[in-house]
Amino acid sequence: MFLTKMQINPRRRGAQQLLSSPQAMHAAVLAGFPDARPTEDGRILWRLDTYATHRVLLFIASPDKPDLTHLVEQAGWPTTQAWQTAAYDGLLGSLRAGQRWQFRLTANPVRSGRREEWTETKPLGHVTVEQQQQWLLDRAERLGFRIAPSTTGAGEPDLAVVDRSVRRFGRGGASVTISMATFDGHLDIEDVDAMRRSLTFGIGRAKAYGCGLLTLSRPGGAG
Amino acid sequence: MSVVALRLAGPLQAWGSGSRFVRRSTDIAPTKSGIIGMIAAARGLRRTDPLEKLLDLSFGVRIDQPGQLLRDFQTAQRPRRDRNGDLDWQSLPLSTRYYLTDATFLAVLEGERALVEGIDEAVRAPHFPLYLGRRSCPPAGPVVLGVSDQSLHDVLETWPWLASSRVQKQHRERVVRLATIRDAAPDETAVESIRDTPVSFDPNHRDYAWRSVVRDTVEVPNPHGVSDPAPEHDPMTVLGG
Repeated sequence: MFLTKMQINPRRRGAQQLLSSPQAMHAAVLAGFPDARPTEDGRILWRLDTYATHRVLLFIASPDKPDLTHLVEQAGWPTTQAWQTAAYDGLLGSLRAGQRWQFRLTANPVRSGRREEWTETKPLGHVTVEQQQQWLLDRAERLGFRIAPSTTGAGEPDLAVVDRSVRRFGRGGASVTISMATFDGHLDIEDVDAMRRSLTFGIGRAKAYGCGLLTLSRPGGAG
Repeated sequence: MSVVALRLAGPLQAWGSGSRFVRRSTDIAPTKSGIIGMIAAARGLRRTDPLEKLLDLSFGVRIDQPGQLLRDFQTAQRPRRDRNGDLDWQSLPLSTRYYLTDATFLAVLEGERALVEGIDEAVRAPHFPLYLGRRSCPPAGPVVLGVSDQSLHDVLETWPWLASSRVQKQHRERVVRLATIRDAAPDETAVESIRDTPVSFDPNHRDYAWRSVVRDTVEVPNPHGVSDPAPEHDPMTVLGG
């Protein structure tokens, strides 16, 4: 597996098109691979991290190395910087139960529900921060980790929803609506195999649309 | 070279660089032609008088508080008295006018010391009333902030943030990033040209030349900030190349 980071130049018209539609971004990311099918190692996952209007980063986890030339030409800085790809296997191999990591995840938290006139249940997006946090807390064990306790709050999990939105975009003739939430916090690994699977195959629904990529970095502060 | 700094704030502002006919647009920041026109008015120049040295000034503006866009569908009428003495209302052309509401800008003009000091003096005691781009938009508060010997770029970078304390408190970070729009230096490759260098304000043959502008950002401390920007999550650092 490989992890790739590319900085998007949001002032460019091509970038604005891609940022406005996860469907278009999905196509652009997949176009960076000769074979975009999932392998037994993992699948292609991507995420956009927005820190300010001018600073947008694209992360891609993939079984093969991507060639993002087309994306840089369309939406990046072609003459000054391209993209950075690093091997993921070293980190995946070094995961051990009990390790604490800082993490970031953009996901599509849903529950299945049925409204009055519906004849079948459908996935409905969670709306409030509490619902979205509970969604991840409920899943954490199955995904191979536990959210670490917060260093400040008494007994509360170290988990924050730092960004959330409802995205509507076109896909063919139809329109797609997904609710997205970005989580930041610290986690403790419990089950290494499940954790590895969460990192390489993603978490939750809408993985084609920039949801489900979990990334780890060194724990900050006292954590 | 010296510079004079201006604070442009008021309930309404309108800075059009491409307005034609009945659609009177506004840019997101003051235009050079608008500011030169305001200074010419302050110095008592008539619309037909030559602008001469004012055209040598270089101009830059910083968007301290962007404000909101306001659209006004104007259905103005003016009274006209008939020959028999009856009052009759005559409609003016219907027009769509755009304004910026609640915006604050720092505008900086760079030129020779004597010229810049003359501008400072004239704007403090203007000959014709000052307005922010359109006659119905008076400035709020003093316009001139003073003359200094710094460069245009330094003033845009170092002048304290002019936004109201209400807006400053809405930004939690200790440092804010403000957009600037300035004249391109002679050796700089400009990305954008707008028709915004006044040649003549004469109502009978108003004329503007092209102006090369550079859009940039500067970082300015926020006196009401309480937090450092959130650290970025960088998963690449743990992968070891």
